[in-house]
Amino acid sequence: MTDDIPVLGDIRILDLTEDVSGPFCTKLLAGLGAEVVKVEQPGYGDVSRRLPPFLGGQSGPDVSGMFLYLNTAKKGITLDYETEEGASVLRQLAQGFDILVESCPPGHMDSLGIGYESLSESNPGLIYTAITPFGQWGPYRDYKGSDIIAQAIGALMCVIGLPGREPLKVGGNPLLCTTGMAAFSATMIALHVRDLEGYGQFVDISEMETTAVAQIHTSIHYQFGRAPERRPSNLTRAKDGWVSPGLETGVHEATWPRVCELLGVPELVDDPRFNTAPARRENQQELLKVVGEWAAARPKEEIYHTLQGLRSIAGYVATVEDLLKSGQLANREFFQAIDHPDVGKLLYPGPLFRLEGDSWHSGRAPHIGEHNADVYGGALGYTGEQLETLQQKGII
Amino acid sequence: MARLALEGLRILDLTQVAVGPYATFMLGYMGAEVIKVESCSRMDISRGQARPTPGAHRVYPGGEPGEEPWNRAGHHVHRNVNKMSVTLDLATPQGKGIFLALASICDVLAENYRASVMDRLGLGYDVISRVNPQLIYLKISSQGATGPERDYGSLGSTLEQTAGLAAVTGYEDGTPLMTNETFPDPVVGILSVGALMAALRRRRHTGRGGLVDVAQREVTVGMQGDAFLDFQVTGRVAGLTGNTHPARHPQGVYPCVGDDNWVAISIGSDDEWRGLCRAIGNPQMADDTRFVSSKLRGQEHGAIDAIIGHWTSERDHYQAMHILQAHGVPAGAVLKGGEIITDPHLKSRGFWDWVDHPEAGGYKQVTIPWKLSKSPRKQATPAPGLGDHNNFVLGELLGMTGSETEELVEQGVIGTRPVGAN
Repeated sequence: MTDDIPVLGDIRILDLTEDVSGPFCTKLLAGLGAEVVKVEQPGYGDVSRRLPPFLGGQSGPDVSGMFLYLNTAKKGITLDYETEEGASVLRQLAQGFDILVESCPPGHMDSLGIGYESLSESNPGLIYTAITPFGQWGPYRDYKGSDIIAQAIGALMCVIGLPGREPLKVGGNPLLCTTGMAAFSATMIALHVRDLEGYGQFVDISEMETTAVAQIHTSIHYQFGRAPERRPSNLTRAKDGWVSPGLETGVHEATWPRVCELLGVPELVDDPRFNTAPARRENQQELLKVVGEWAAARPKEEIYHTLQGLRSIAGYVATVEDLLKSGQLANREFFQAIDHPDVGKLLYPGPLFRLEGDSWHSGRAPHIGEHNADVYGGALGYTGEQLETLQQKGII
Repeated sequence: MARLALEGLRILDLTQVAVGPYATFMLGYMGAEVIKVESCSRMDISRGQARPTPGAHRVYPGGEPGEEPWNRAGHHVHRNVNKMSVTLDLATPQGKGIFLALASICDVLAENYRASVMDRLGLGYDVISRVNPQLIYLKISSQGATGPERDYGSLGSTLEQTAGLAAVTGYEDGTPLMTNETFPDPVVGILSVGALMAALRRRRHTGRGGLVDVAQREVTVGMQGDAFLDFQVTGRVAGLTGNTHPARHPQGVYPCVGDDNWVAISIGSDDEWRGLCRAIGNPQMADDTRFVSSKLRGQEHGAIDAIIGHWTSERDHYQAMHILQAHGVPAGAVLKGGEIITDPHLKSRGFWDWVDHPEAGGYKQVTIPWKLSKSPRKQATPAPGLGDHNNFVLGELLGMTGSETEELVEQGVIGTRPVGAN
């Protein structure tokens, strides 16, 4: 392999996943140049095709922002593998693939005769990654999940929110995306093993366990005697939003006078409430009041840059609109333009990491069954006639 | 088949605080040999202060810092299992020399400093890759290795702000909130494992190492792609969304018996709605015309929440989850720290490792978010005391003699007690 061949350029992935976690995993694999063939139910397709946001008002299979983002650089075919004939086509197809990723309820693929046991018999190198809310075995294995369920049962949301109010989730679908990342990393480990040893294996990924890993404080704080609690933020208002000045953590002792000068409060240079980092932490709320008056008159991103310039660990609450204008992200060409016949050319978040010498693959998401002729005709050598028959039966 | 997946992979680990240590403890679980490098003058911040000031923001077992607080600090103990510890003062020429010698016998160098710290030490990627062209340099940073903000400082909590998460996390009538879990740290730790595997595969093909540039901000932004597309087409900016979901109605947390106990419920289909109506003993509500579609249920959220809350408030949160799930309803008890470590499901799946730490005592350790059928996880080894493996690494791996290492101790290049401990 030379430098021009992507890191997964020789890897074919059969992607039976839908919704968020699984497609996020295969999106990352596609980003590394694997050929990802997404298999959808004829007519119906991935459930995320029917999830908002719908771009352009009308809902339709090709305008869900969720679907379009999660399925970049994949090919699309249709196959009703719930039927006996469809399952047999899938069994044939799987022979030519290195990795299969699915997100069915545990045991479902086995019941169709196309589970890991069956597929790996004739393809022992197959890596089979299964992504579910709770994993393949254990008392909750048949339980249903969603992003908020993972955040609840994985002990993440118990510490988010305000004291005296209900626990709060992180916005969006972050735990489903994180599960997709866990599945990606695990699949890559399995591929590492296969490259070295030759055998494939079964990879079991659970949203609950991913969240339990993502709670970085709660379980250990509890065990060491300091149960964490929900608490207010240290944000203060800027002219156009919110910032966290970060003066209690990052600022070096010698810099404090410069901060006072900046804030126009020279009298605080020697004030024992603020002139050391521990004191600033101790008196965080008072400090916020002082900074607050200064910040309220200034734009949030300007405050962020100014305070970072003083080595404070400042932050500003960025919206999607702000991030599309971020100088840092623009400098790194993080957003990548992808054209799509139904929604036009839009900027998509791009590579989640960069390998020296490798570029990130990001073609548009496929229409339902867009690559049927390619994949069935190419890999399986189906004739046009055979394809038509399968189509008439509703299998593809 | 009990071979560990990453047996023989040696990692020189300069990471500290959270994101990098999270990545490397997971790699250790899969069999990698991880050599954690700190110095006696600059320990991993997770170890806390050599002599913590009262009320310092650190977590010690039983609240007791003990004689060697740096070896018992909760954050250190919890994030540095499966590693060896070496101290090296990288500001000294000897320290730099030993560091480069180590780099020449390792497969991977991992670090998560501000972008230019290693360059300033004279140990940047250019220098390292000349010493060992096969080395993979895993660089995890908040903003990435390039760009005008590459040297900005960050914490998990500020990344939540600058990467767009805080803007959508909060009560609908409130202000943006942070997770209090430095969420982008564990997440990027998890992803970095896969990024490193990709670089290793590339090395197998090309025979050369290379730089892996992971920006925590970009990864976190990457979890919100749909919102970016939506904004460009419709101009919508989601804002604070509480516990709601745009297509799942109802969704939220509901109070249960006991102090601060809640159950999360998330209805994604009409079938699940009917299941919920049955589960709460109100099957006829499934036919109530006010609630028959997801859209209507979204509009009638208040009325529905009152009905569900009435039912949950008479039940334990676990019990409510089990009853609802028995009717096919996505539901989950909102577990707390003491509950997640005893949860029967995680227990049956062997998720937690029991670790007996020589300084901190026994505790349950977070493990890894995957199970590979033929590549087992190894049993955790406790987080190392500062400099515990100086002799092994410098002696066994680099072949230094006892008198050579003793000299380094005398010169303060290596050691086992932090500056300021005495």
